[in-house]
Amino acid sequence: MIDYKEHILANGLRVLVNHDQCSQMAAVNLLYIAGSVDEEPERSGFAHLFEHLMFRGTRNIPSYDAHVQQICGENNAFTSADYTDFYVTMPKENFEVALWLEADRMRNLNISRPRLETEKSVVIEEFNQRYLNRPYAEQWHTLRSMVYTTSPYRWPVIGQTPDHIRHASLDDVRAFYDKFYLPSNAILSVSGDLDAERVFEAAERQFGHLPLVEAPVRTIATEPPITSARRTELHSAVPADQITIAFLMERRSEHGYYLCDMLTDLLAGGESARLYQRLIKEQQIFSAANAYITGECGQGMLILTGQLSSDVTIEQAEAALWGEIERLATEPIGDYELQKVKNKFEANITFGELNVMNKAMNLGYYRMLGDMSLLNGEVEIYRSITSAELADYVARNLTPNKSATLIYHRKND
Amino acid sequence: MINPKPQIHSTAKPQVPHYTRLEAPNGTPLYVLHNSNQGVVRVSFVFRAGTSYQSVPFSASAVVNTLTEGTEQLSGREIAERLDFVGSYYDANIDRDWAVVTFCSLSKFSPETMDIAEQVVLHPTFPEREISVYCHKRKEQLDVQRSKPDQLSRELFGQAIFGQTHPYGITSPSEEYDHLTPAILREFYESHYTAEGCFAVLCGDISSADTKRVLAILGGLRRGGTALVREIPAPDPVEYAKWHFEGAVQSSVKVGVPLFPRSNPDFIPMQVVATAMGGYFGSRLMQNLRERNGLTYGAYAAMINLDRSGYFVMSAEVAGEATDRAIAEVMAEVERITTKPLHPKELSVVKKIIFGDVMRIFDGPFGVADVSIENIQNGTDNSYTENFLAQVESLTPKMLRDVAARNIDKNELTVTIVGD
Repeated sequence: MIDYKEHILANGLRVLVNHDQCSQMAAVNLLYIAGSVDEEPERSGFAHLFEHLMFRGTRNIPSYDAHVQQICGENNAFTSADYTDFYVTMPKENFEVALWLEADRMRNLNISRPRLETEKSVVIEEFNQRYLNRPYAEQWHTLRSMVYTTSPYRWPVIGQTPDHIRHASLDDVRAFYDKFYLPSNAILSVSGDLDAERVFEAAERQFGHLPLVEAPVRTIATEPPITSARRTELHSAVPADQITIAFLMERRSEHGYYLCDMLTDLLAGGESARLYQRLIKEQQIFSAANAYITGECGQGMLILTGQLSSDVTIEQAEAALWGEIERLATEPIGDYELQKVKNKFEANITFGELNVMNKAMNLGYYRMLGDMSLLNGEVEIYRSITSAELADYVARNLTPNKSATLIYHRKND
Repeated sequence: MINPKPQIHSTAKPQVPHYTRLEAPNGTPLYVLHNSNQGVVRVSFVFRAGTSYQSVPFSASAVVNTLTEGTEQLSGREIAERLDFVGSYYDANIDRDWAVVTFCSLSKFSPETMDIAEQVVLHPTFPEREISVYCHKRKEQLDVQRSKPDQLSRELFGQAIFGQTHPYGITSPSEEYDHLTPAILREFYESHYTAEGCFAVLCGDISSADTKRVLAILGGLRRGGTALVREIPAPDPVEYAKWHFEGAVQSSVKVGVPLFPRSNPDFIPMQVVATAMGGYFGSRLMQNLRERNGLTYGAYAAMINLDRSGYFVMSAEVAGEATDRAIAEVMAEVERITTKPLHPKELSVVKKIIFGDVMRIFDGPFGVADVSIENIQNGTDNSYTENFLAQVESLTPKMLRDVAARNIDKNELTVTIVGD
């Protein structure tokens, strides 16, 4: 349960405060509604590159980090498909310094050509480290391009290829900054032992002088449904065969999102869940298996995946995964099992709110979703879900003709 | 335009919470930390049962990981079901020295969770079938892990710095899982999960019933800790080791030197040296390799504490063709930190980084418990953390240069590379 107060500045900046009296720390979170869905297809990876550039200094403050360090702070950022998030935690007394820094770089970023070039090579190394220098490296690029044909979710946040990052220009940087890094396109959230009025006043002092500029209106192309099974088979030097089955799912704001979340928890939410107990322990078809939703604001993916035990064929393993989907549709889900996954949601929400950073982040995230009643109200949505609607959802949506399957065959060498 | 910078206020000193020590009738200590703010309870059982105590490869980790696979009263499946039903979670962790078993629950479900904890800690049965499934699965997972350069790099560095058969450096082929049996696990459990080798830390929104319950569990541990003695020879480092990894896009580079455990007076100053070198975003390695040269996404340095040893290590994943250049830059930074005192401004930043890190750990109920566990493992109490902060505060640039020069000899460093 997170209590909060909200205030909107004249320039459109939304400010939310959670007054947490138990902590010596404060967290300042600044979320921009700018993500990889806002990129041009031939300029993919740009939102994430831009997140890096935000640490490259402004005309007034050449080193953002130096000021954070001075107040014993720690800061970082991440980019998702839907938004970019910057956060600082520090002893609460100096939270206003974080606001000062954020207000400055919302307005005065100063990127030179050499800085852009260095940052491009850092991001390309990140691309290498996370997406190339490991087994199954190309799986996310491949899977997204199989599931999506139209929507900008078809490329990963890191970008379609390192070449897109190489080609980013200073003009691109300026255009992206001017379009998205605006008070009206941002959400500031603060958690700590700080009175809400005091934070609102500080926000007014630090951000109030920034002009009102209309936030861009985001339009994301709707992804047409998958109507016949899609399949890709790769042969690669991977340690084990792997199957991934993906389905296109509902938007974050639709009821189907909660159904998918609950279905994947029935399959893989904890050691007692179905995939682990039946396919790993009892039948030993997989050495590892998982089911989850990717969680985007728009149409995300529901994914089942597993790495095969060495003496199992792809056909057996694939049949086993489909068998579990089939069971969800045809065998009634018992009250006990349903109660179990609902209890787990409730506990995980509590475990996810234990420090100021998580609370500040949650405030920003739910504000971005646009419905603050969800911040403390999602447990009730999960509690209301019935066994019949889950089964009905599976029967209608999780069918072979709506699936995309990616197979890795281990190349013996 | 820009606003004037807000005035910087002095901050409250981190409050290091102290625990209460209780004792079960068999002498096993329980440390209790109250924090009633969050409605959660966590208990950790800590055993001297890390991998350096094992004589059979993988047996120590197999024991801690299969405690929940079956007990006298409950099957592995029932344990998983009952924990999941109340949303509690269970975590097993192992390092070279210690095995830690942790249960975490909402306060209202603490009794149900403690029931399971008692079974798991005191009455595991290591059922034949479950152990065989476990070994099969772990063997395959280890093969998967070992297809990643970063995992291989960790293993190679451990071997290079301590020696291939040293208890702190040894790694074993995954085939060794084929030889593990329930009898081996039972023997390790009986000789290492004893009253003498154990303590527990209970934290959160705890009731007196919780405290009693944990004391009763500890009281059920058998006495007899003769197996807790082990031979830890001196490290036998090599200068250079490289594993070829066909097709690797990046090289994983590690550079380091074996040193000493946390009880050594140079340990804390060396932690400060490591922080300056690669413990934060503005650190020297990060500035050099990432910010100035774009050779890497991240470069790090740390002092690692082991029960009977310790080491200083620097690491980075760098573009394959930049490997030699990256190592040369690391060496240049070693030269700089061992010959020139830090600028006072830099030292002031490093101190603030460390101070902030400690405060961040103390935010939330579990960080305090983690710090307490580490202090108790090292034979100290939480006043260590207060002294740590005071000592860090007192260090001067010259003291740090001297401690770096004394402990890091450029010609004695071990360099390991995994790459194409």
